Order: sequence, then structure tokens, then C-alpha cells
Amino acid sequence: MENNTASPKNILKNPPVQIILFGIVLCLIQVLSMNGVISSSFAFALGNTLIYAVMAIGFCLLLGYSGLASLGTAGFIGIGTYAVYYIMQENGYPLFLAFLVTLGISLGLGVVVGFISLRIEGIYLAILTLGLSEIIRNVLMAIKPTIKLELANSRLFGIQMNDRVAYFLIVIIYCLLMWVTSNLINSPTGRAMVAMKNSTSAAQAMGISLMKFRLMAFVIATVYAALGGLLYMVYVRNLTTSSSLLLTLTTSLNILGAVIIGGSKSLWGTFVGTFIIYGIQSMFLSRIPFFVKNPAFITMVTGVLIVVVVMFFPGGIAQIASNISASFKKRKLAGAAAAAEEKKGEE
Amino acid sequence: MFVSFLSTICASLLVVCVTVMCTFAVTLIFKTSTTTNFAEGSLAALGCYVTATCLNKYNIPVYIGVFPGIAVGVVLGLLIDVAIFRRGRNVNAVGKQIITMGIVSIIFGAIPLIFGTPESIPFEPFYNTKKAGTSANFLIPFMGGKIVLTKHGLICVIITVIVIGVLFLLLKHSKWGLGVRCAASNEYTAELMGINTHVITAMSWAIAAGLGVLGAVMYAGGGVMISTSFMVTPMVNAFLAGILGGFSTFYGPVIGAIIIPIAANAVGFLANFPGMSSISRWNMVIVYAAMLVVILIKPSGLFGKKIVKKV
Repeated sequence: MENNTASPKNILKNPPVQIILFGIVLCLIQVLSMNGVISSSFAFALGNTLIYAVMAIGFCLLLGYSGLASLGTAGFIGIGTYAVYYIMQENGYPLFLAFLVTLGISLGLGVVVGFISLRIEGIYLAILTLGLSEIIRNVLMAIKPTIKLELANSRLFGIQMNDRVAYFLIVIIYCLLMWVTSNLINSPTGRAMVAMKNSTSAAQAMGISLMKFRLMAFVIATVYAALGGLLYMVYVRNLTTSSSLLLTLTTSLNILGAVIIGGSKSLWGTFVGTFIIYGIQSMFLSRIPFFVKNPAFITMVTGVLIVVVVMFFPGGIAQIASNISASFKKRKLAGAAAAAEEKKGEE
Repeated sequence: MFVSFLSTICASLLVVCVTVMCTFAVTLIFKTSTTTNFAEGSLAALGCYVTATCLNKYNIPVYIGVFPGIAVGVVLGLLIDVAIFRRGRNVNAVGKQIITMGIVSIIFGAIPLIFGTPESIPFEPFYNTKKAGTSANFLIPFMGGKIVLTKHGLICVIITVIVIGVLFLLLKHSKWGLGVRCAASNEYTAELMGINTHVITAMSWAIAAGLGVLGAVMYAGGGVMISTSFMVTPMVNAFLAGILGGFSTFYGPVIGAIIIPIAANAVGFLANFPGMSSISRWNMVIVYAAMLVVILIKPSGLFGKKIVKKV
């Protein structure tokens, strides 16, 4: 909007620049942990949080922009994890192929769920996608209860994957998806989705095809969640479907919680929300001796935090941040106005 | 063959009872607070822990020990409504869902803090088999075979029929029931008509939590290991039953709750036929998939009324 877009302050306001800077910071943390400045478990936990953040971006687009509540995230994640396992571990193909196959399957699944969403809406849709997710989980469990990816079978373009390489892969994919999504939101597609969220009838009257954009929203959310599952498998490398919480309702709810806490219409909010739900727990609280002794307190603190944020800050943390910056701006403007008045008075 | 099929169906009676309890609770909350209460399962688990403590520490028989559990559930339900939902009225539906999820987290954290983390918690069914010479099962002769029916399951069926029956009567004929039905159709209009919706929702939460605990005690008595998350599966089934039956009525979800476990066992029974032995791994998948198809054909549920949307 402003004329001097080239000034350094405005470059920082440019989303791609912000995302690249954030990516560099994330990479730096890993580099520091390689040199022993930061403990490696801290960096590992950050990588884990980023995986959930990838899933949360897709969900943010689905809930915050398209207004479609889904509880099927866990099932979509499951698709990604099992695709990686079968392609890389069982058949020995490279990770790149796993990427393509995951994309293909999740595209198909997203279209199916999108069609379902045309018939059923609101909380009903949420429960129905929960049922779908349970179907996927049961199918996967019946196929193979435990999957384990061996390090030797995990390579991308000839590069041997390990925790650290996988971390960089996660950061790259996270930044890429952030960039794609932030562009999408500011495009006609994004605006059509918001219109659809506010009123389906009005959107249709304006010539927006519900089918096209609902399908698109679900396809994107499914692909992101499946990619998250793929990254999880590459990073953590084993999963016991019958006992792990990853493919259950808990994960779907946690992602939903992360998006709501961060502010459902803010991409950076999704990271903050994921960080609160997954990051604080594994990166900070697990270091404090009191919480190490009583890990149950961590769960309680997260729960209290969720309730408080939803009750008192319905716009999420993103709204708090924007409120604060708005009040600063107001004060600045008021100050400037007062100064101008004083000047006038002097004259 | 038919007799063993009937036995299979009878084996699902206990799960039917638990699911019906949970479903009624979920529907009640859905109607009065317009949210899906994800905390139902964890509240029930907490109450069940209380009952288990009474049983194991103070040697109280289960049919008395169940009451402290229900009391704790009722108090917590009231507390959740008064402290959280009454203040968070202007939170939207998804926000309310997240709040119940936060409550799940709090309870999941609280249970190990209060009760510790024992390896396994012993629990007893309503019909105690420790007495010498009594069997846990009824064997009903039928068409030359014998239908197996656990005594615990039968007692649970009787309790469920009585409790749910009384609740339906209350809904239909009591002042509270009228209030619930009014609040369910439109909360603000109900308030304008002089109905104290605060009391209605608080009571609904209390009843829902109590029902959940009762269901959990039945479930645990049937031999399921008690853990913080042992009520998650019945709760998920309760939501799906609600959708299957249609949340717009009270009886629809309950019928859905009866159908799902019976259908699961019936599909599992197919494993007895030659060449179908692997089907028991897939029975939930088949039931859920069939349900999905039904809901797609009839989005408002089997017994739901179609809601006409206005612009």
C-alpha cells in the first residue's frame, strides 16, 4: 500500500522474506545443536513440532478460511506414514517416489471427503470425518499393527537420511508450504473460500462453485496432513498404530486446538498454536525438574491453557498480537496528533 | 448356527448398554449446549477410578461403590457447566468443542496425579462370581442349543432400560424435560419464555456426567482394563451413533447406539463361515463404512428431521 516498498522495514513485511528468515532461524537452531550449543533433544522436539505445524497449516486453510470443521486429520496422517513405509521399507524405492504416491493417494481421499462435505455440514461433518478417520486407522491396523522404517532404506536423491537431514527436509517443506499457502490465501481462491465460509448461499450467488472450492480445501488439507505423516515417518521412523496416539482422535483434536489457539485465520498463528500444544511440552516443560517428576502436570497445564485461550481470546493468540500492535499504533498516532496540535498552538 | 449367532448378539449387550449411556449423555449435551462433549469419556473414566478406589481400598461392593463415582461425575459436570460453559456462551460451536478437549487434557493429567499409575486396577462385575459354586453366565436352552448370557450383562441391560426409560419419561412429562426441549430448539426464546436455561444446562451436564460414569462402571465390570483413555472407543461410537440416528431427536441416537455394537458383532460372526476367518479384524471397518454410506444417503440421520435452511 505504501510508496517506498524498497525500504528495509517494508521488505521485512513481505511474507516470503518473513518465511525465509524464519526458515533460516530454524536451520540455525539445528546447526547450533550440531555444535553442542543447544541440546540435540531440544532440536529434535522442535522438528517434531514443525511436523505438526505442517499439518496445522492445511487445517487452518480448511477451518479458518473455508469454515469446514474436520476431525479426520489423524486418518490422513496415517495414509502418509503407511505410504512411506510400504514404498521405502518394503519395496526399497526412494523417498521421492513416496512423496508422489502420498500426494496421489491423499488427493484421491481429499476429493472423496470433499464430496462428503457437500452433503453434510458443521459438527455433523466433523463427526463423520472422525468416523472416516477411524475407518482408516482400523484398516491400517488390520494391515500391519507396527511399522518401522530402517535408516538404511531412507534416502532422498541419494542422500542418506538421518535425524538431522530429515530436520532440514522438514524445515524446507514447512517453509515451502507456508509460502504456497500465504499466496493462496491472498489469491482469488482464498477470497472465494472466505466468502464460502461466511455464507454458502451468498457465495453461490456471486458465482462461486461450492463444489470446486470445498474439494480444493479438503484436498489441500488432506495433502498437508499426509505430508506431515510422511515427514513423521522419515523423522521418527517407527509407529505402533495400536498403542500410539498419533492416528487417534487425540491428534485430530490437538491439531484443531493448535489452529484455534493460534488464531484460525492466521498462518503464523498455526505455528504458535502448535508450539503451545506440542512444543512447550517437549522443549521446555520437560526440562524443569518439577515437571519431569510429574509429567501429568504438563498435560493439565496444556488443558488449562486451551480452555483459557478459547474462553477469553476467541480470535486466538494472533488476535492478541494484533490487538497489542494496534494499540501501539494508536498511541503513536495519538502522540503524533498531540505533537501536531502543540505545534499549531505555538504558531 | 442360529443359536450361536444369537449368543454372539447377546455378547454385545454389555457394549450396547455402555454405548447407549454415552450416547444419551452426548445427545443431552449436544441439545442443551450445542457442542460435542469430547470430555464425556474422560469424565466417565475419572468417576470409574473413584469407584475402583472405593472397591479396592475400602472393600465396598460395586453396587454401593458406584454411587460415589457417579457423585464425583455429577459434581464435575456441574462445575464444568457453571465455571466454563456459562461464561463461554458467546464462544462458537467449534470453540466449545475445543474447550471440552481442553477439559479432556486436564482430566487426563489429573487422573495419574490423584490415583497414581498402577499397572492394572482390579474391578468387579455387578454379579460377583467370587462366591463358590456360581457361574457368571446364564445358559438359556433354545432350539436345541444354548444361548450364553453373562449375568453382569443382564443386570446392565436392566439398569440401562430403567435409567434411560426414566429419563425419557422425564423428558416427555417433567418440567425439566420441557425446559430441555425448549432450550434445545432455541435457547434465547426459551429464556424469553421464562425458562431458567442455566439450571437446565447445569442439570443436563450433571445427568450426562452421571450417565457416563455409570456406563464406565458397567464397561469396567465387563472385564475391560481401566485406564485414562478406556472410554474413548465407546465415546467415539456414541458420536457416530448420534449421527447415524440423527441428533434432532432423542430416540434416534439411542437406536443408533443399539445398532452399532450389534452390527459389529454380527459382522464378526461371519468369521465362522469358511473362507471368512480374517473378517474379525475388519468388522469395525465394515460397520463404519456401511454407516458412512447410510449417512451419505440420509444426511440428517435415520430418524432425523430435515432442517430447512433460510438465507
